[in-house]
Amino acid sequence: MATFFLTLYVLIWPLIVAATLFAICKGFFKDWREARQEGRTLI
Amino acid sequence: MTPPGEDFYQLSGWTVILLLVLFYGGTLLMSALIGKKKENADGYMTAGNKIGFGVSAASMTATWIWASSMYASATAGYTYGISGPIHYGLWGALMILFIYPFGRRIRKVAPKAHTLAEVMYARHGRSSQLMLAGSNIVGSLISLTSNFIAGGALIALLSPFSFSQGIIVIAAGVLLYTLWSGFRASVLTDFAQVVAMLGAVVVIIPAVFFAAGGPDMFEQGAQNLTPQQSNFFSSDAFLNQGAPYIAAVLAYAIGNQTIAQRLFAVREDLIKRTFVTATVGYGATIIGVGMLGVMALYLGLSPAGGDVNNLIPQMASTYLHPLLIGVFLIMIIGALSSTADSDLAALSSIMMADVYGQNVAGKKKANPKTMLLVGRITMIVATAAALYFASGQMNILDLLVFVGALWGALVFPVIASFYWEKVTNKAFTISVLVALAAFIPVRFEWLPMDGALGIVTDVVAVIGIGVVLGLMCFGFFGLKAAKIIGAVGALAAAPFAIGFLHDYAVLSGSLVAYAVSTLVCYFMCFRSGTSFDFDLIKQRIGDFDQRPETEAAEAATVQAGK
Repeated sequence: MATFFLTLYVLIWPLIVAATLFAICKGFFKDWREARQEGRTLI
Repeated sequence: MTPPGEDFYQLSGWTVILLLVLFYGGTLLMSALIGKKKENADGYMTAGNKIGFGVSAASMTATWIWASSMYASATAGYTYGISGPIHYGLWGALMILFIYPFGRRIRKVAPKAHTLAEVMYARHGRSSQLMLAGSNIVGSLISLTSNFIAGGALIALLSPFSFSQGIIVIAAGVLLYTLWSGFRASVLTDFAQVVAMLGAVVVIIPAVFFAAGGPDMFEQGAQNLTPQQSNFFSSDAFLNQGAPYIAAVLAYAIGNQTIAQRLFAVREDLIKRTFVTATVGYGATIIGVGMLGVMALYLGLSPAGGDVNNLIPQMASTYLHPLLIGVFLIMIIGALSSTADSDLAALSSIMMADVYGQNVAGKKKANPKTMLLVGRITMIVATAAALYFASGQMNILDLLVFVGALWGALVFPVIASFYWEKVTNKAFTISVLVALAAFIPVRFEWLPMDGALGIVTDVVAVIGIGVVLGLMCFGFFGLKAAKIIGAVGALAAAPFAIGFLHDYAVLSGSLVAYAVSTLVCYFMCFRSGTSFDFDLIKQRIGDFDQRPETEAAEAATVQAGK
């Protein structure tokens, strides 16, 4: 049981990182799309 | 210090050149896409105060993660066992969360600010401004040097190139893409860097885990851990790693210009989302990388050359396929470059707004073109200085203790200055200086602590615990809740802390700095008849560059997406 939880403990972080990266990328491309539609620079 | 290169798998020279050209060439291209022939001075510092969620969340995450934090988390895992990375990464992450309510208040009071020091100038005057500006100049220079050293050391370990060649390439790469557009380039390239870093973490942690034996390593290597290292609730890890870090990062988050700059840049309604996302992103990334240290402990691996900073490259070199070692190299280069470019942008903004804009030319006479020149010259000089410190292996990192202490002493006076109309410049300045004076002998154990002095120090440190808890609570729940939580926290800690807390000099020193600055500031102000009108800050701080938007638009050479 301890081995199972330790494995989960190690591998959960890359999963959370992947979810965060997805959210950031989604937000970035939304910003980019809006900037294009409004004819302005992204930054 | 550096282990022999034969111990590590080395990428070929051409592979490393290709990776660096791809990385720095890509970031340079990104920065060129938003470059304008005539940059706007305010844009150079804050990107117009209206950055969207995707860019700002990426930037906040990338800036908060630096190469040293990855190394430190793995070291915590190796030293303190399974809870070590939590006591590094979780607290660092939560501090991003804890400061966002303060961030909202700061933006409300000073929506057009460029630096926190500039706001302090508008609120109090020159001495408080220069304390924040000065500490940030030293802090960013240290951070820049540290990142160059980390990059040079990694390139020397994993490639045929030398440390000196490594730091020159890193410094030149970062300076090239940041120099022209400043903060605008810094935040945009942070997106690419965060993709590189987080993407690498997603792949590398499981890859090392399974290559090192997978779940079996926990059964076969359990005897390599002490009872404290095996304990998820290790008091050793909390007192030596977690607690000092909580005190340190709260100060870092409040005092550091790289964070404040992003706070002033993001669209005001997106502050909460940005900070929450950065909290999760930073925490998971840093704790995840810390797992490499935990795995090294279970595997019974000794750090090459006895240097724990070699743990991460050593794990990567031992267990990863050469292709993934290249990915690993980019992960670290991404982490250190994103922080280094933020430091350059922070330094240039301080020199532009606080030194030139407020103190040399004066707000009304400041010339935007001269400001931009000041900003760019600052970047070049800072890079040269950091290269000098890095190449001489000078122990500039020791200065970080003082910068951290100064930021710790500044936390209460800075926060109080945004909420309490009674805080004066005199109280601000004196409280910080007295706190710094109290910090130094405690932190460096200059005085015998085995008698009454030790007890007095512990009592003051316990008040510091209350202050830290109260400040964390105050942003979310207000003054009443903060007072209750602070008082209950201090009273609950007192029986356990008084009598032995002074044995932990790092923690004790930080808590004393918090407590002394709070007490001095409070007692100098609470009977004061001063009543500051916060609306004055908005009137005193505004754009330096009044050129119409159309001029900037006409000057745009290339616009992203067009």
